[in-house]
Amino acid sequence: MVPLDVDFALTQPWTVLFGPSGSGKTTVLRAIAGFVRLEAGRIAREDLVMADSATGVFVPAHLRPVRSAAQAAWLFPHLTVMRNILYGCGRKSEGTDQVQAADEVMALFRLEQLSERLPRALSGGERQRVSVARAVVSAVTFQGPGKALLLLDEPFSGLDVTLRDELLANLRGWLVRWNIPVLSVTHDVGEAFQLGAEVIKIADGKVVDQGQVSDALAGERRLLMDQLSRGSFKI
Amino acid sequence: MDIDALWLTLRLAASTTVILLLVALPLAWWIASGHSLGRAVVQAVVALPLVLPPTVLGFYLLVALGPLTWPGRLLMQVFGHPLAFSFAGLLVGSVIYSLPFAVQPLVAGFGAVDQGYVEAAAGLGASPVKVFLSVVLPMARTSLLAAAVLAFTHTVGEFGVVLMLGGNIPGRTRTLSISLYDLVQDGNYMAANRTAWVLVAFAMAALLVIYLLPSVRKMDGRQADVVR
Repeated sequence: MVPLDVDFALTQPWTVLFGPSGSGKTTVLRAIAGFVRLEAGRIAREDLVMADSATGVFVPAHLRPVRSAAQAAWLFPHLTVMRNILYGCGRKSEGTDQVQAADEVMALFRLEQLSERLPRALSGGERQRVSVARAVVSAVTFQGPGKALLLLDEPFSGLDVTLRDELLANLRGWLVRWNIPVLSVTHDVGEAFQLGAEVIKIADGKVVDQGQVSDALAGERRLLMDQLSRGSFKI
Repeated sequence: MDIDALWLTLRLAASTTVILLLVALPLAWWIASGHSLGRAVVQAVVALPLVLPPTVLGFYLLVALGPLTWPGRLLMQVFGHPLAFSFAGLLVGSVIYSLPFAVQPLVAGFGAVDQGYVEAAAGLGASPVKVFLSVVLPMARTSLLAAAVLAFTHTVGEFGVVLMLGGNIPGRTRTLSISLYDLVQDGNYMAANRTAWVLVAFAMAALLVIYLLPSVRKMDGRQADVVR
């Protein structure tokens, strides 16, 4: 395994961790979410230190102002789509708010027709959309000082490009409106450009570049354009 | 057949099952949620009644619950009488004797719930208790049913511990299996046969429930198809 040694700060509404498979992107998300402990280092969100190896602080995952969706959907098999989506709702907000948020997100992800289905009756792409929608609802209804950081690991990797682009655009606008910061993982250049986000480029366990997508991924973009113009993609 | 003994047996088995589930649920979740020397030792101790002669367990419980040890003397003060040769004493013995039959299916069931579901729930802000009650337990519900049926049936079928610990007091500690033993000693084979048949029918019914359990999952699948 590649030793992971990264240092970065999130300053934009949506930040993308970009890098090849095995470069450590998922591990970074899991460390922020609280599923892995750091050998050495510090993770903080605004004033709250969530993990610090120097002082021994380790806030358990469920108490962090962080909501996450893994790459696999992990839908609870005994709950309907609607119940899955409402699972992570903040406890204090009353029913109508929750249902309102859930309804909006269901519409955003085109899930209205599926709300009473059980996960086993969904296709792979549908499951992935429910999983991301579930994390989004949980982040929007988060109760606490400040907003929850939303962590999405390859949120749209299994979707066809047309649907992905539409969902991304809608979701981005909606989350900006709710003021929810996002850190997502992708190895897809198109997805990073579509988001127009801040990009943190990771390779071999290190941050190699951070900046606006047009700068940080300029090389990748040029390569892609060259390939397209030379027609070297075999279909 | 001894109706008092049947009633006592059912009461003992039901009480044992309730107490066992309360003890076994957290214990099994703890055992299933990691690997460590402590867990291995606890699991081995829990499994001991599977391999020990019941008379060994009965003997040590008889000593431990009696006036020879401090826990026994403490219990005598709390209850006002020795726990041995009483229903409460039988209950303690049954809980320990049937513990592996409740814990093992639960450990297997909890272990089969992928850690991914637990992390998904925690990543949505669910506390460990909420994760256990709303995700792990419902997903392991067939194991829960199996644990309850096995604990109940195994308690109905116990003999050695009851004989050592409870003696043979009608209406208080004489269970069906003891009653059967008595009837055979008396040469009353007709009554013994009836009692034995009740125990056979009981065990058969319980095992049928266990082996029919996977169909519970299939039923869920059909419901999903209906919704579709």
